Amino acid sequence: MSEIAIAAERRTEFGKGAARRLRRAKLVPVVVYGHGEATQHLALPAHELMLALKQSNALLSLQLDDGAQLVLPKSVQRDPVRHTIEHVDLVAVRSGEKVTVEVVVTTEGKIAPGGLLEHVHDTITVEAEATKIPSELVVTIEGLEVGSSVHAGDVALPSGVVLLAEPELVLLHVLAAQSAEAEADEAADLAVAAAASEASAATSAATAEVEESD
Amino acid sequence: MLIPRRVKHRKQHHPSRRGVAKGGTKVTFGEFGIQAMEPGYITNRQIEAARIAITRAIKRGGKVWINIYPDRPLTKKPAETRMGSGKGSPEWWIANVKPGRVMFELSGVSEPLAREAMQRAQHKLPIKTRFVKREAGEL
Repeated sequence: MSEIAIAAERRTEFGKGAARRLRRAKLVPVVVYGHGEATQHLALPAHELMLALKQSNALLSLQLDDGAQLVLPKSVQRDPVRHTIEHVDLVAVRSGEKVTVEVVVTTEGKIAPGGLLEHVHDTITVEAEATKIPSELVVTIEGLEVGSSVHAGDVALPSGVVLLAEPELVLLHVLAAQSAEAEADEAADLAVAAAASEASAATSAATAEVEESD
Repeated sequence: MLIPRRVKHRKQHHPSRRGVAKGGTKVTFGEFGIQAMEPGYITNRQIEAARIAITRAIKRGGKVWINIYPDRPLTKKPAETRMGSGKGSPEWWIANVKPGRVMFELSGVSEPLAREAMQRAQHKLPIKTRFVKREAGEL
Protein backbone atom coordinates (compact mmCIF):
# COMPACT_ATOMS: atom_id res chain seq x y z
CA MET A 1 0.00 0.00 0.00
CA SER A 2 1.48 3.34 -1.02
CA GLU A 3 1.82 6.26 1.37
CA ILE A 4 -0.58 9.18 1.25
CA ALA A 5 1.19 12.48 1.86
CA ILE A 6 -0.76 15.03 3.93
CA ALA A 7 0.48 18.45 5.06
CA ALA A 8 0.28 18.75 8.86
CA GLU A 9 0.68 21.67 11.22
CA ARG A 10 1.40 21.64 14.93
CA ARG A 11 -1.28 22.75 17.36
CA THR A 12 -0.46 25.27 20.03
CA GLU A 13 -3.96 25.80 21.46
CA PHE A 14 -5.88 23.02 23.19
CA GLY A 15 -9.37 22.42 24.53
CA LYS A 16 -12.81 22.34 22.92
CA GLY A 17 -12.78 26.03 21.94
CA ALA A 18 -9.54 25.67 19.98
CA ALA A 19 -10.69 22.34 18.50
CA ARG A 20 -13.94 23.92 17.31
CA ARG A 21 -12.04 26.85 15.76
CA LEU A 22 -9.88 24.32 13.88
CA ARG A 23 -12.95 22.43 12.62
CA ARG A 24 -14.50 25.69 11.42
CA ALA A 25 -11.27 26.33 9.47
CA LYS A 26 -11.73 22.89 7.78
CA LEU A 27 -8.98 21.23 9.81
CA VAL A 28 -9.17 18.13 12.02
CA PRO A 29 -7.34 17.90 15.37
CA VAL A 30 -5.27 14.72 15.57
CA VAL A 31 -2.79 13.18 17.99
CA VAL A 32 0.23 11.07 17.06
CA TYR A 33 1.76 8.66 19.55
CA GLY A 34 3.86 5.52 19.58
CA HIS A 35 7.40 4.19 20.14
CA GLY A 36 7.39 5.60 23.68
CA GLU A 37 7.86 9.15 22.41
CA ALA A 38 5.99 12.26 23.52
CA THR A 39 2.50 12.68 22.03
CA GLN A 40 2.33 15.17 19.16
CA HIS A 41 -0.76 17.36 18.72
CA LEU A 42 -1.35 18.18 15.05
CA ALA A 43 -4.03 19.51 12.71
CA LEU A 44 -4.71 17.99 9.27
CA PRO A 45 -6.85 19.28 6.38
CA ALA A 46 -10.32 17.73 6.77
CA HIS A 47 -11.05 16.95 3.10
CA GLU A 48 -7.69 15.28 2.36
CA LEU A 49 -7.95 13.27 5.59
CA MET A 50 -11.51 12.15 4.76
CA LEU A 51 -10.39 10.97 1.29
CA ALA A 52 -7.34 9.18 2.75
CA LEU A 53 -9.40 7.37 5.42
CA LYS A 54 -11.81 5.98 2.81
CA GLN A 55 -9.39 3.04 2.49
CA SER A 56 -8.86 0.97 5.60
CA ASN A 57 -5.41 1.01 7.25
CA ALA A 58 -4.26 3.88 5.04
CA LEU A 59 -0.56 4.59 5.57
CA LEU A 60 -0.23 8.38 5.92
CA SER A 61 2.95 10.38 5.55
CA LEU A 62 2.55 13.58 7.59
CA GLN A 63 4.56 16.43 6.09
CA LEU A 64 5.78 18.53 9.01
CA ASP A 65 8.24 21.44 9.04
CA ASP A 66 10.92 19.23 10.58
CA GLY A 67 10.45 16.19 8.29
CA ALA A 68 7.95 13.48 7.43
CA GLN A 69 6.30 11.05 9.85
CA LEU A 70 4.69 7.73 8.85
CA VAL A 71 1.46 6.98 10.73
CA LEU A 72 -1.45 4.55 10.73
CA PRO A 73 -4.98 5.46 11.90
CA LYS A 74 -5.83 3.92 15.26
CA SER A 75 -9.21 5.45 16.11
CA VAL A 76 -11.51 7.86 14.25
CA GLN A 77 -14.26 9.88 15.94
CA ARG A 78 -17.06 10.86 13.57
CA ASP A 79 -20.25 12.85 13.95
CA PRO A 80 -22.98 10.15 13.90
CA VAL A 81 -25.34 12.23 11.75
CA ARG A 82 -23.15 14.29 9.43
CA HIS A 83 -20.39 11.63 9.33
CA THR A 84 -17.68 14.32 9.44
CA ILE A 85 -14.37 13.47 11.11
CA GLU A 86 -14.01 15.15 14.51
CA HIS A 87 -10.75 13.71 15.80
CA VAL A 88 -8.25 11.02 14.84
CA ASP A 89 -5.72 9.02 16.85
CA LEU A 90 -2.67 8.13 14.75
CA VAL A 91 0.07 5.65 15.62
CA ALA A 92 3.62 6.44 14.57
CA VAL A 93 5.22 3.61 12.55
CA ARG A 94 8.57 3.08 10.85
CA SER A 95 9.08 1.71 7.37
CA GLY A 96 9.46 -2.07 7.57
CA GLU A 97 8.13 -2.25 11.15
CA LYS A 98 5.67 -5.06 11.91
CA VAL A 99 2.29 -3.78 13.07
CA THR A 100 -0.93 -5.42 14.27
CA VAL A 101 -3.94 -4.29 12.25
CA GLU A 102 -7.53 -5.26 11.47
CA VAL A 103 -7.95 -6.14 7.79
CA VAL A 104 -11.31 -6.25 6.04
CA VAL A 105 -12.53 -9.63 4.76
CA THR A 106 -14.52 -9.44 1.51
CA THR A 107 -16.37 -12.21 -0.31
CA GLU A 108 -16.54 -13.28 -3.95
CA GLY A 109 -18.99 -15.68 -5.57
CA LYS A 110 -22.51 -16.70 -4.60
CA ILE A 111 -23.66 -19.11 -1.92
CA ALA A 112 -25.96 -22.08 -2.65
CA PRO A 113 -29.64 -21.15 -3.17
CA GLY A 114 -31.81 -21.20 -0.04
CA GLY A 115 -29.07 -19.82 2.18
CA LEU A 116 -28.53 -16.49 3.86
CA LEU A 117 -24.96 -15.27 4.37
CA GLU A 118 -24.31 -13.92 7.84
CA HIS A 119 -21.20 -11.78 8.41
CA VAL A 120 -20.19 -12.70 11.96
CA HIS A 121 -16.90 -10.77 11.76
CA ASP A 122 -15.97 -8.22 9.09
CA THR A 123 -12.30 -8.02 9.89
CA ILE A 124 -9.49 -10.22 11.18
CA THR A 125 -6.42 -9.28 13.19
CA VAL A 126 -3.15 -9.84 11.35
CA GLU A 127 0.47 -8.85 11.72
CA ALA A 128 2.12 -7.29 8.68
CA GLU A 129 4.81 -4.84 7.66
CA ALA A 130 3.51 -1.27 7.96
CA THR A 131 4.21 -0.61 4.29
CA LYS A 132 2.73 -3.90 3.06
CA ILE A 133 -0.66 -4.10 4.78
CA PRO A 134 -3.19 -5.80 2.46
CA SER A 135 -6.16 -3.54 1.69
CA GLU A 136 -8.53 -6.53 1.92
CA LEU A 137 -8.55 -10.32 2.21
CA VAL A 138 -10.79 -12.11 -0.27
CA VAL A 139 -12.71 -15.27 0.64
CA THR A 140 -14.43 -17.38 -2.03
CA ILE A 141 -17.93 -18.43 -0.97
CA GLU A 142 -19.03 -20.00 -4.27
CA GLY A 143 -21.59 -22.75 -3.61
CA LEU A 144 -21.30 -22.60 0.20
CA GLU A 145 -24.08 -24.81 1.63
CA VAL A 146 -26.52 -24.01 4.45
CA GLY A 147 -24.91 -24.63 7.86
CA SER A 148 -21.34 -24.22 6.66
CA SER A 149 -18.96 -21.55 7.97
CA VAL A 150 -15.75 -19.82 6.96
CA HIS A 151 -13.17 -19.51 9.74
CA ALA A 152 -10.23 -17.14 10.12
CA GLY A 153 -7.86 -20.04 9.50
CA ASP A 154 -9.45 -20.64 6.06
CA VAL A 155 -8.45 -17.21 4.73
CA ALA A 156 -5.51 -17.26 2.31
CA LEU A 157 -2.98 -14.68 3.54
CA PRO A 158 -0.40 -12.96 1.33
CA SER A 159 3.28 -13.62 2.08
CA GLY A 160 4.61 -11.65 5.05
CA VAL A 161 1.18 -11.49 6.71
CA VAL A 162 0.65 -13.56 9.88
CA LEU A 163 -2.76 -14.38 11.35
CA LEU A 164 -3.09 -13.25 14.98
CA ALA A 165 -6.81 -14.00 15.42
CA GLU A 166 -7.97 -17.42 16.61
CA PRO A 167 -7.99 -19.78 13.59
CA GLU A 168 -11.41 -21.08 14.76
CA LEU A 169 -12.93 -17.56 14.72
CA VAL A 170 -16.09 -17.70 12.59
CA LEU A 171 -16.11 -14.99 9.90
CA LEU A 172 -19.04 -16.05 7.74
CA HIS A 173 -21.91 -18.41 8.35
CA VAL A 174 -24.64 -19.59 5.99
CA LEU A 175 -28.09 -19.67 7.60
CA ALA A 176 -31.21 -21.27 6.14
CA ALA A 177 -33.34 -18.51 4.61
CA GLN A 178 -36.76 -18.29 6.25
CA SER A 179 -39.67 -19.66 4.24
CA ALA A 180 -43.04 -17.86 4.01
CA GLU A 181 -44.67 -20.49 6.30
CA ALA A 182 -42.00 -20.08 8.96
CA GLU A 183 -42.49 -16.32 8.85
CA ALA A 184 -46.25 -16.73 9.26
CA ASP A 185 -45.64 -19.05 12.25
CA GLU A 186 -43.25 -16.54 13.77
CA ALA A 187 -45.76 -13.71 13.33
CA ALA A 188 -48.45 -15.83 15.00
CA ASP A 189 -46.07 -16.62 17.89
CA LEU A 190 -45.27 -12.93 18.30
CA ALA A 191 -48.97 -12.05 18.37
CA VAL A 192 -49.63 -14.67 21.05
CA ALA A 193 -46.63 -13.50 23.10
CA ALA A 194 -47.74 -9.87 22.82
CA ALA A 195 -51.27 -10.71 23.93
CA ALA A 196 -49.90 -12.68 26.90
CA SER A 197 -47.51 -9.91 27.93
CA GLU A 198 -50.22 -7.26 27.61
CA ALA A 199 -52.50 -9.36 29.79
CA SER A 200 -49.77 -9.82 32.39
CA ALA A 201 -48.95 -6.09 32.29
CA ALA A 202 -52.63 -5.26 32.81
CA THR A 203 -52.79 -7.70 35.73
CA SER A 204 -49.65 -6.27 37.33
CA ALA A 205 -50.99 -2.74 36.82
CA ALA A 206 -54.25 -3.69 38.50
CA THR A 207 -52.33 -5.33 41.36
CA ALA A 208 -50.15 -2.25 41.78
CA GLU A 209 -53.20 0.00 41.83
CA VAL A 210 -54.77 -2.21 44.47
CA GLU A 211 -51.55 -2.05 46.51
CA GLU A 212 -51.40 1.73 46.12
CA SER A 213 -55.03 2.13 47.21
CA ASP A 214 -54.35 -0.07 50.25
CA MET B 1 -45.62 -6.22 20.04
CA LEU B 2 -42.53 -5.42 22.11
CA ILE B 3 -43.32 -4.73 25.77
CA PRO B 4 -41.21 -5.22 28.93
CA ARG B 5 -42.15 -8.31 30.90
CA ARG B 6 -41.63 -6.61 34.26
CA VAL B 7 -40.60 -3.09 35.29
CA LYS B 8 -39.18 -1.69 38.51
CA HIS B 9 -41.32 1.46 38.42
CA ARG B 10 -44.60 1.68 36.53
CA LYS B 11 -44.41 5.42 35.84
CA GLN B 12 -41.32 7.33 34.76
CA HIS B 13 -40.42 10.90 33.88
CA HIS B 14 -40.23 11.79 30.19
CA PRO B 15 -36.79 10.83 28.84
CA SER B 16 -34.49 13.58 27.52
CA ARG B 17 -34.62 14.42 23.80
CA ARG B 18 -31.28 16.23 23.79
CA GLY B 19 -27.99 15.06 22.32
CA VAL B 20 -26.98 12.49 19.74
CA ALA B 21 -26.66 8.71 19.88
CA LYS B 22 -23.58 7.50 21.76
CA GLY B 23 -23.59 4.02 20.27
CA GLY B 24 -25.45 1.92 17.74
CA THR B 25 -24.68 4.43 15.00
CA LYS B 26 -23.36 1.90 12.48
CA VAL B 27 -24.93 -1.01 10.62
CA THR B 28 -23.55 -3.93 12.64
CA PHE B 29 -25.60 -7.06 12.01
CA GLY B 30 -27.10 -6.72 8.54
CA GLU B 31 -26.14 -5.03 5.28
CA PHE B 32 -28.65 -2.16 5.23
CA GLY B 33 -30.29 -0.05 7.92
CA ILE B 34 -32.56 2.83 8.86
CA GLN B 35 -30.80 5.63 10.76
CA ALA B 36 -32.61 8.29 12.80
CA MET B 37 -31.84 11.87 11.77
CA GLU B 38 -33.71 13.59 14.61
CA PRO B 39 -34.70 12.71 18.18
CA GLY B 40 -38.04 11.15 18.95
CA TYR B 41 -40.10 8.70 20.93
CA ILE B 42 -40.83 5.53 18.92
CA THR B 43 -43.73 3.51 20.32
CA ASN B 44 -43.92 -0.27 20.28
CA ARG B 45 -46.81 -0.03 17.80
CA GLN B 46 -44.67 1.99 15.39
CA ILE B 47 -41.79 -0.49 15.73
CA GLU B 48 -44.17 -3.37 15.01
CA ALA B 49 -45.71 -1.56 12.03
CA ALA B 50 -42.26 -0.90 10.56
CA ARG B 51 -41.22 -4.54 11.11
CA ILE B 52 -44.33 -5.82 9.37
CA ALA B 53 -43.79 -3.37 6.49
CA ILE B 54 -40.23 -4.66 6.00
CA THR B 55 -41.09 -8.38 6.21
CA ARG B 56 -44.03 -7.99 3.82
CA ALA B 57 -41.93 -6.03 1.33
CA ILE B 58 -39.11 -8.59 1.23
CA LYS B 59 -41.68 -11.46 1.04
CA ARG B 60 -39.24 -14.32 1.73
CA GLY B 61 -35.55 -14.67 2.46
CA GLY B 62 -33.69 -11.94 4.24
CA LYS B 63 -33.32 -11.26 7.95
CA VAL B 64 -34.52 -8.26 9.96
CA TRP B 65 -32.95 -6.90 13.15
CA ILE B 66 -34.65 -4.41 15.48
CA ASN B 67 -31.98 -2.50 17.40
CA ILE B 68 -34.25 -0.45 19.65
CA TYR B 69 -36.50 -1.59 22.49
CA PRO B 70 -39.52 0.28 23.90
CA ASP B 71 -38.57 0.04 27.58
CA ARG B 72 -39.95 3.38 28.84
CA PRO B 73 -43.59 3.96 29.79
CA LEU B 74 -45.37 7.23 29.01
CA THR B 75 -48.47 8.15 30.96
CA LYS B 76 -51.63 10.02 30.03
CA LYS B 77 -54.46 11.49 32.06
CA PRO B 78 -57.97 10.74 30.84
CA ALA B 79 -59.80 13.38 28.78
CA GLU B 80 -61.86 16.02 30.61
CA THR B 81 -60.12 15.38 33.91
CA ARG B 82 -59.18 18.17 36.31
CA MET B 83 -55.46 18.65 36.93
CA GLY B 84 -53.92 17.11 40.03
CA SER B 85 -54.82 13.84 41.75
CA GLY B 86 -51.52 12.25 40.79
CA LYS B 87 -49.84 11.09 37.63
CA GLY B 88 -51.89 9.53 34.82
CA SER B 89 -51.89 5.86 33.92
CA PRO B 90 -49.32 4.24 31.57
CA GLU B 91 -50.52 4.61 27.99
CA TRP B 92 -47.56 3.89 25.69
CA TRP B 93 -44.24 2.08 25.71
CA ILE B 94 -41.56 4.02 23.89
CA ALA B 95 -37.94 3.81 22.81
CA ASN B 96 -36.07 7.10 23.23
CA VAL B 97 -34.21 7.48 19.93
CA LYS B 98 -31.43 10.03 19.41
CA PRO B 99 -30.09 11.26 16.04
CA GLY B 100 -27.63 8.83 14.48
CA ARG B 101 -29.17 5.68 15.93
CA VAL B 102 -29.54 2.73 13.52
CA MET B 103 -33.00 1.39 14.42
CA PHE B 104 -33.62 -1.43 11.93
CA GLU B 105 -31.24 -3.62 9.95
CA LEU B 106 -31.80 -5.94 7.02
CA SER B 107 -29.68 -8.49 5.14
CA GLY B 108 -30.03 -11.22 2.54
CA VAL B 109 -31.84 -9.12 -0.08
CA SER B 110 -30.73 -7.00 -3.04
CA GLU B 111 -30.17 -3.29 -2.52
CA PRO B 112 -33.15 -2.08 -4.60
CA LEU B 113 -35.49 -4.38 -2.63
CA ALA B 114 -33.91 -3.32 0.66
CA ARG B 115 -34.39 0.35 -0.25
CA GLU B 116 -38.06 -0.24 -1.04
CA ALA B 117 -38.65 -2.26 2.13
CA MET B 118 -36.91 0.34 4.27
CA GLN B 119 -38.86 3.17 2.62
CA ARG B 120 -42.11 1.43 3.55
CA ALA B 121 -40.85 1.14 7.14
CA GLN B 122 -39.69 4.77 7.18
CA HIS B 123 -43.27 5.87 6.42
CA LYS B 124 -44.38 4.15 9.65
CA LEU B 125 -41.95 6.11 11.83
CA PRO B 126 -42.63 9.56 13.34
CA ILE B 127 -39.13 10.99 12.74
CA LYS B 128 -36.91 11.88 9.79
CA THR B 129 -34.73 8.89 8.88
CA ARG B 130 -32.32 7.80 6.16
CA PHE B 131 -31.27 4.57 4.47
CA VAL B 132 -27.71 3.49 5.33
CA LYS B 133 -25.41 0.70 4.19
CA ARG B 134 -22.80 -1.33 6.03
CA GLU B 135 -19.27 0.04 5.68
CA ALA B 136 -16.93 -2.83 6.46
CA GLY B 137 -13.65 -1.99 8.11
CA GLU B 138 -14.43 1.69 8.63
CA LEU B 139 -12.77 3.06 11.72
